[in-house]
Amino acid sequence: MKERVLEIVSEIRPDIDFESAHNLIDDGHLDSFDIVSIISELNDEYNITIRVTELKPENFNSVDAMIELVTRLQAK
Amino acid sequence: MPKFEFNNIKIAGISTVVPKQVIKTESYKSIFGEEEVAKFMQMTGITETRRTSEFQTASDMGYTAAERLIQEKGIDKNEIGALVFGTTSPDYRRPGSSFIVHKRLKLPIECAVMDLNLGCSSFVYGIQVIASMMQNSDINKALLILGDTAGKTTYSKDKASIMLIGECSVAILLEKDSQAKPIKAQLKSDGSGYRYLIVPGGGYRNLHANTEPEIYHDGVERTLHHSVMQGTSVFTFTISDVPRLIKDFWADTQTTVDDYDCFAFHQANGLILQQIAKKLKFPSDKMPLTLSKFGNTSGASAVLTLCDRYGNEDIGEIKVLCCGFGVGLSWGVFSMYINTKDILPIIEDDTIFEEGIIRSASEL
Repeated sequence: MKERVLEIVSEIRPDIDFESAHNLIDDGHLDSFDIVSIISELNDEYNITIRVTELKPENFNSVDAMIELVTRLQAK
Repeated sequence: MPKFEFNNIKIAGISTVVPKQVIKTESYKSIFGEEEVAKFMQMTGITETRRTSEFQTASDMGYTAAERLIQEKGIDKNEIGALVFGTTSPDYRRPGSSFIVHKRLKLPIECAVMDLNLGCSSFVYGIQVIASMMQNSDINKALLILGDTAGKTTYSKDKASIMLIGECSVAILLEKDSQAKPIKAQLKSDGSGYRYLIVPGGGYRNLHANTEPEIYHDGVERTLHHSVMQGTSVFTFTISDVPRLIKDFWADTQTTVDDYDCFAFHQANGLILQQIAKKLKFPSDKMPLTLSKFGNTSGASAVLTLCDRYGNEDIGEIKVLCCGFGVGLSWGVFSMYINTKDILPIIEDDTIFEEGIIRSASEL
């Protein structure tokens, strides 16, 4: 899954090294357009629905955090 | 969930008025930078919007739209028994804008008049309110007017919102008709999202709020008297809750995507509509878009889009699925039938109700 998520986020923001970034939200690397694009792609790719309650920096600060979120929502 | 059904009321006509001033999205490049503006245009699909002048209001355009509809349809004004104005941009804190339009249209005093404080869902809600009033009264004809001038409360440095907002007003004529095909609707609300779209100051909670600009959580400068939108929250709410509501509505009404000729949705932004269309498998030719020309025009946007799409066509009756979602949070869906000859083309108008501009006590 990690490879595919990396592909998705890199297509949206090719200028960011997502492998090493761990504070994407807290450090302001991603803006709201980036986040909504990521949410759309993850929803489509993994057939999940990311809801407003999941909009916390800790869910989007890194690719690992996004994978954790997807895995959690898939298990629901 | 509140469900509505009306079997004796039809949508007898719709009309749209936009202001003449065109703002090209590209013109913001000198303020926000080329890359930011290009990204915005790509995400939202907005290349230009319309804006009112300083003293021009939603009621000015709403009045013109209603007057035109009345003239085109040959309606006797004395037959209009209700007027509801859906807006978050009233002319005054009080009275409501519906009373200004009532005076200007010279409607009879035997007419129930009120405002509805709703934005992007005002079309869906407004139809249910006015049709409910008609169903339970002797009112045979009624007017719903919708419009916002949200650009006036958007801070000039708020890049996402200032480029997004367009302004216009629309008028909808409803008539009792025993042969009418049903109007069906479902409505929803979630007050826990009241902060997602808000003008925090200037209301009675904080009438004299600080007018100095501050830097907000998103790094954008605004004052408390300007609109703040948590774009990510609004987007996430929309793409999860709106498709769910439509699916529930289809199940409830035993209809599918194939039963509708047109999907007239609130024109929020391109990315949101693309996501909704993808989730619900709308054929692209059945979902008209006006974002590129008019931006996000709040509750009037679905009607504006119908006028843009069908305003010059005579193809007979169509079945339309309408949907609105936004400030509140508030969202809803309804189905209706309308003959395309009752859909008037969009017109431009900048007429201002000069009497309404009260600059000093001596003018009262």
